[in-house]
Amino acid sequence: MFRWRKLGKVFTPQEVGGRRWLKEFAQAPATLVFDDFVRVYFSGRPPADGNGQYVSYSGFVDLDRSDLFRVRRVSEQPILSLGGLGEFDEFGTYPVSIIRAGDEVRAYYGGWTRCESVPFNVAIGVAVSRDGGETFTRLGNGPVLSYSPDEPFVLSGPKIRRFNECWYLWYISGRKWKIVEGRAEPVYKIRMAASADGIRWDRANKDLIESRIEEDEAQASPDVFFANGKWHMFFCYRYSSDYRGKEKGYRIGYAASTNLTDWVRDDAKAGIDVSAEGWDAEMISYPHVFELDGKIYLAYLGDQVGRYGFGLAVLEGALE
Amino acid sequence: MKWIKRGRIFDPAQHTLPNGCVQFAQSPQALVFDDFVRIYFSTRAVDRGNGKQLSHIAFVDMRKNLRDVIRVSDKTVIPLGKLGCFDEHGIFPMNVLRHDDVVYGYTCGWNRKVSVSVDTAIGLAISRDEGLTFQRIGDGPVLAASLHEPCLIGDGFVKVIGGRFHMWYIFGTGWRRYLADGPPERTYKIGHDESRDGISWTKEEGRQLIPDRLGAEESQALPTVIEIAGRYHLFFCYRQSFDFRRNSVRGYRIGHAWSDDLANWTRDDENPGLDVTPGDWDSDMLCYPHVFACDGRVCLLYNGNEFGRGGFGLAELET
Repeated sequence: MFRWRKLGKVFTPQEVGGRRWLKEFAQAPATLVFDDFVRVYFSGRPPADGNGQYVSYSGFVDLDRSDLFRVRRVSEQPILSLGGLGEFDEFGTYPVSIIRAGDEVRAYYGGWTRCESVPFNVAIGVAVSRDGGETFTRLGNGPVLSYSPDEPFVLSGPKIRRFNECWYLWYISGRKWKIVEGRAEPVYKIRMAASADGIRWDRANKDLIESRIEEDEAQASPDVFFANGKWHMFFCYRYSSDYRGKEKGYRIGYAASTNLTDWVRDDAKAGIDVSAEGWDAEMISYPHVFELDGKIYLAYLGDQVGRYGFGLAVLEGALE
Repeated sequence: MKWIKRGRIFDPAQHTLPNGCVQFAQSPQALVFDDFVRIYFSTRAVDRGNGKQLSHIAFVDMRKNLRDVIRVSDKTVIPLGKLGCFDEHGIFPMNVLRHDDVVYGYTCGWNRKVSVSVDTAIGLAISRDEGLTFQRIGDGPVLAASLHEPCLIGDGFVKVIGGRFHMWYIFGTGWRRYLADGPPERTYKIGHDESRDGISWTKEEGRQLIPDRLGAEESQALPTVIEIAGRYHLFFCYRQSFDFRRNSVRGYRIGHAWSDDLANWTRDDENPGLDVTPGDWDSDMLCYPHVFACDGRVCLLYNGNEFGRGGFGLAELET
């Protein structure tokens, strides 16, 4: 079992103020390391509208590289506007995954639209930054990865990586909408696709991670990190109903692969769970692993899926 | 070339339709058998949840004279999609073709949205009983929105030419609100893509195939292609993107283009031209063309007024 030492909550969106796009939530942290700071992209929300519905924007917080608990700056504006009328990302850009590619920085994100029979649908968009990750421009008004015969809806949670000159996208795909107490709840599973250019994708067309707690287990945030000769995936999972509380809410799982496509799940090895008390006592979710100055860190969300921010843990030992 | 109008050949009000459907026989699409022609169309039922409409596929079998009705389908040809799927609220149209002893049905699936009325995508279903019923290859679409085709992928028409699948279809270029208190209206154009297997498609990504006649706000729909004497002819319908429902001069008309290489198309709506007939069932609108060969004749099925509420008619190319 990995030994993660929790460092505590590092960012609280409620403390920022002065930003229309950010009242609460700092979801799905994704890092980009600079010389003297670590930029953590996350998704936040303005207040809900009159119908109680949210939109989500993505922005970033710069953490001091020598002291990750020192916030240096929070982006004034979101990195992307919402999409246009009738477009796939009209009502949200969440979550976002960031990668450097030559002189550019690319963002892959979940674009949210609203539907009549179910509350929403999601497809994956791509945007590029030519100013080092400050602002991004969509590569098109439509999604870069959308629905397919085996992946019919809710394509979200992108995690973009490059290994051996090839682009990889891990993401989730909806399997079914389940009616729970009159409400449509999505069940989704972890999938992947590969690409030579990050634009045209070949899908693996299979669920990568076996469901463990129930058939309709929902899986999210498939964060892949290479270390010590194999690929490590941290992800989160939850029950399909009553998941907004502690008992059936998100936990962090783990799987390993030696070929990127075949994964062996071993949650007992994940090494991080909810705390007895505090900001992450009910649920932990949206893991993101990154390396910084010789240490391996895990950024993750606590209660209410990041409504009050994200925290960090540091690995004691090696990822192997 | 010249079309000879044969009049309306199918009026849905004269028949009992499956799925509780009444009125509308839109976007007729033919599957030719040895001694009859099966014509699929989209008809409508009321969604009991909210009074909106649901499009269902049905068919009518006609003698090859395309005048005498043999029967109308009395069972569900293909059920609507599952909760949250692209084809949950309707299938309109479905293009059919024989391939490898089965019948491929390319569906245009409809799902309702909140800020705009609808989105669409193209699905594939297969029939192994000569087109009586179709089963999806998956819950999702084979062709959906992409980087430069942001919405409203639909109206697929597929032909296998030289061993490759060719699809002509439409893609939305965007939504716009023309009146402050009016609903958003969409604009779409005709695109083309190819495939080796009919399932995995490579789009030309936003390349508009047919030049506009009415300017950038021309909406083009329902492409249908036939080869006549070595030249490919593409028929479609086009209209203004706004105030097209009741204003006849802004409503759908039939367009035409030709190509010798399947890549470059020359628009030529007048040759052969098809126009409205004052006082008749197609006096205000001409839409949803489908062209096919039947016993040596080139036949054009199409809808008239009110987008096909009163059924479809036939024109034949003068020989």
